[in-house]
Amino acid sequence: MSISGLPFLVYQRASRIVIHKHTLSFLKDCRTPKIASFSSCALGKKFCKPKQTELQHQLRRYVLRSTFEAGAARKRGQLVKKKETVKAVEQTARERNATESVPSYPLTTSEWRKLKELYRGKRQFEVSMMTKMVSARSDVNVAKSLLTYVAKENASISYELLLKYLTLCVLGDHHAEVLDVYEIMKSRFKVLDTSAYSLFIKSFSQTENWQECLTFLEDIKRVITPSPRNYGHVIAGALRHGCATVAWQLYDEMLATDLTPHPETWKAFYDHKLYSDENKSKLMSILVYMRNNQIYPSESLAKSIKSWFESDPNISWKGSWTTVARSGQCRHCSSSLESIHLTEEEYDVLKKKVMNDVILGSDVFNKTTPQELQHFKDFVKKRHSYDVVIDGLNVANITNRGRQSENLLEVVSHLAELNLRLLVLGRKHMLKPSRSWDRSNMATIQQKADCFFTENISEDDPFLLYATLHSGNHCRFLSQDLMRDHKACLTDSGLRRLFFKWQRGHQLVLANYNPGRSVNFQVVPIYDTIVQTNGTSWHIPYDKDEVERCTYEVPTKWLCLVQKN
Amino acid sequence: MRFLKSQIFNILRRQCFRQEILISSRQGTGTIVQTPQLLLLPPLRHRCLSTAQWIRRESSQSCKVNTEKVDLDVWKSLMKNEECKSTSPVPTADAEEDAPLDATQELVQMWRESGRLVPENMTKEELQIFAELSTKSAKKKYLKYLAIKENNKKARKEKKKIKQEQVKLEVIEKEPMEHPKNTFLLQFWQRSMDSLYNWRAAQALLFGQPLVFDMSYEHYMSRQELENTVFQLQECEGWNRKSNDPFHLYFCNLKLEGTYHKELKKRYREAWDRLLITATEKTHVELFSRDKLVYLTADSPNVLRTFDHDKIYIVGSMVDKSIQRGLSLANAKRLKLATARLPLDEHLHWESGAKNLTLDQVMRILLTIKDSNNWEDALNFVPKRKHDGFIKSKTQHEKEPIFKSQPIGRNQKPTAIQKPTFIKKRLEQTTVNPKERMKWWEE
Repeated sequence: MSISGLPFLVYQRASRIVIHKHTLSFLKDCRTPKIASFSSCALGKKFCKPKQTELQHQLRRYVLRSTFEAGAARKRGQLVKKKETVKAVEQTARERNATESVPSYPLTTSEWRKLKELYRGKRQFEVSMMTKMVSARSDVNVAKSLLTYVAKENASISYELLLKYLTLCVLGDHHAEVLDVYEIMKSRFKVLDTSAYSLFIKSFSQTENWQECLTFLEDIKRVITPSPRNYGHVIAGALRHGCATVAWQLYDEMLATDLTPHPETWKAFYDHKLYSDENKSKLMSILVYMRNNQIYPSESLAKSIKSWFESDPNISWKGSWTTVARSGQCRHCSSSLESIHLTEEEYDVLKKKVMNDVILGSDVFNKTTPQELQHFKDFVKKRHSYDVVIDGLNVANITNRGRQSENLLEVVSHLAELNLRLLVLGRKHMLKPSRSWDRSNMATIQQKADCFFTENISEDDPFLLYATLHSGNHCRFLSQDLMRDHKACLTDSGLRRLFFKWQRGHQLVLANYNPGRSVNFQVVPIYDTIVQTNGTSWHIPYDKDEVERCTYEVPTKWLCLVQKN
Repeated sequence: MRFLKSQIFNILRRQCFRQEILISSRQGTGTIVQTPQLLLLPPLRHRCLSTAQWIRRESSQSCKVNTEKVDLDVWKSLMKNEECKSTSPVPTADAEEDAPLDATQELVQMWRESGRLVPENMTKEELQIFAELSTKSAKKKYLKYLAIKENNKKARKEKKKIKQEQVKLEVIEKEPMEHPKNTFLLQFWQRSMDSLYNWRAAQALLFGQPLVFDMSYEHYMSRQELENTVFQLQECEGWNRKSNDPFHLYFCNLKLEGTYHKELKKRYREAWDRLLITATEKTHVELFSRDKLVYLTADSPNVLRTFDHDKIYIVGSMVDKSIQRGLSLANAKRLKLATARLPLDEHLHWESGAKNLTLDQVMRILLTIKDSNNWEDALNFVPKRKHDGFIKSKTQHEKEPIFKSQPIGRNQKPTAIQKPTFIKKRLEQTTVNPKERMKWWEE
């Protein structure tokens, strides 16, 4: 295949040559010059450009979703749905049980006594009844009548029961009642436990007594670190009563203790529409925090951010929901987004760390041997850089139809036709002739590509990653593997994100591969999915509510914010 | 009354007899027999007249007014009148130093009050350890561990008490014997058994097959894991001593005054110096020739098909609850030793669970295979929860009993040495089978 309109050859097992029928439509696809801009000029090397574009076209011919897009994993696993329905059924059943066994109106003491006689359970009758009330969200008065009964019977109420009652009040937003319970608890018990403090914080932050929350927070801090939700409630309370400075103080304190803020907290900040200069810079810093930690806002948070920008009195922003074209241009404002390629420093750091953490680790012998490593290093140094590094075993085992060596040969020959320099990584057992590893096929593969075979008990993936990184920014690797275990070997979370970014930009994934048919790849994105700005505009990827996203996927929907002049 | 729907009946009841006294008096006459189920209003499942709903709303409102007047003040006033419960001990002079510890203790007590699984009493060291734990989840786990430990201790004490009381009763019931019994032996005490075992162990020290425990994994384990490992090693030593033909145990790579050594001495106390095993700082490679050593590890690609009495097997003494793959394999690779794994997949329908077994299980498997050379017997010590029975060779339906004796999973052709054994087995089969048939006829 080539741009000059040469007939496109599809390699087939029967070595038939098929001329591409849709050459015209296919050439139409090739007319976007934008793609060529992805070459690795950053590294200061010159590459054969036509070859690059060819590969790009190969990749762009098929409109296919990438493995790393949100929701892909969900589609792969069909079982999730079934499980969820089962869960939902269980839940409703449990709730129904609770509602059935909980009285719906206040009972007198004698009636409670009769109920207790009927009760057959391990836990205390009162506690289990109160727990059921909490799960059924029943009326407070019913709970009050239960408390009255207990007070009359036992002349006191246990802390556990009070705590459950408090939970019921907080869930039902009965703030006056919470205040009464607080008075009682304070008079009865010298100290309270953390769950009580958390409940009080949640309730008091919505009332005039929100200052009390600060003391509760201090009480929790004496023994354990408060949760992000605790902080979030106090911050929300402070914002509600117009004390932005206190809120920001708490927010900074939370970041200092390495807690990840709850998205609701950010939402509260944006919802309170603060526009003084100081607040503005702080709110921008939240977006930068999301960028640095690769956090994507949820749909509701994205809406809050949009409305905050749009109601800015000084600068008029225009926000809109959009997607990004494959060329890396925002479909709304047609500015191009950040490239997925790493800077040179990042690249060097990643290369070094993959060598140190993933291949060497704490013990060289875990994944390889020193001799093999030396052999590999020499091998990589001797050769010129590659265009595609292939995970031989992974590609060979993509389908269970056809023999493994034939599958591998097919993919390798296809890529070799595109005039790309290839490296195939495998294990030594592939060289032993057998039914699945045909001798002649392996010989052909070795003619078409360079090969490196590791020991049978060594890991081949780390070598694949290193060879790709070593070849430079233009090099891709071909594997269906998500490389999660190797990503986990990296010591630092920032590095993991860097690795993930590099992986998204450099991993080729075979799409709907069938032996004997043409070989297609999934699209490799050329832009980075991350919160980004260029001064006059913001682009924020966000998660749709109904789409479930796995950790190794990125969102597809964007919020585009542009300044209007 | 029977035809009244329970809800409507409830409403009627609440509207007519609002006070308890009335109800009880009605009960006295016996006109209305209340079942407690009637006190509950089941949720509406059927269509009902709107009037009923209206009545219900009305009634519930009236009810609310009523209860709030009566109910609420009662429990609140009762609670407020009670005095403050002092939950913590009176602070002493050195309270300032232990302020955080006291706070912790108070919190743990309150957690106990709120029904969480936490211990009743904590020592100062435990509080210190608790305070040093970095994450919330670690703290909660530690408290749970302490609570379970405490509960077990209590249960044991209770059992002991009951037993002692029973013994007392038995002593009282027993009547003194008139004539002493005539016996051949005095009572056979455990002491005599111990000396017998020790003779065997001493024999093993001289002539037994070595079995090496590699103690070089100190740094890969947490405190808890290390304690578990030492416990398992004790079990191993015990099983070995009680077997008919014990191994000669070697603890290699045991650092003097390392954590392992200290922990072992703490557990064995003065018996540590009397143990009939070899504990050295040397590595197994220094003690034995390399070609005889076989490192047993679950990650090995090779399967241990037959137990070799001339080989020296090495077991890595390590508990890895945080699964650390390939550690022992890496060690074996470093020293260029042969490796092997137990033939679990070959003999068992594996279901779930990791294939790394505990040290005492491995020990018993090796002892059994050494004695009987029968994998089925040996692999009985694999926990039953991990597998679903043995892979049976089809003995009952097979016409040629030759295959019965052939080990499963063996791809090699039977060698000349094994052939006689086949013939023997075949003869046995032919001798056994007619008998069985006879029995079958008789039945």
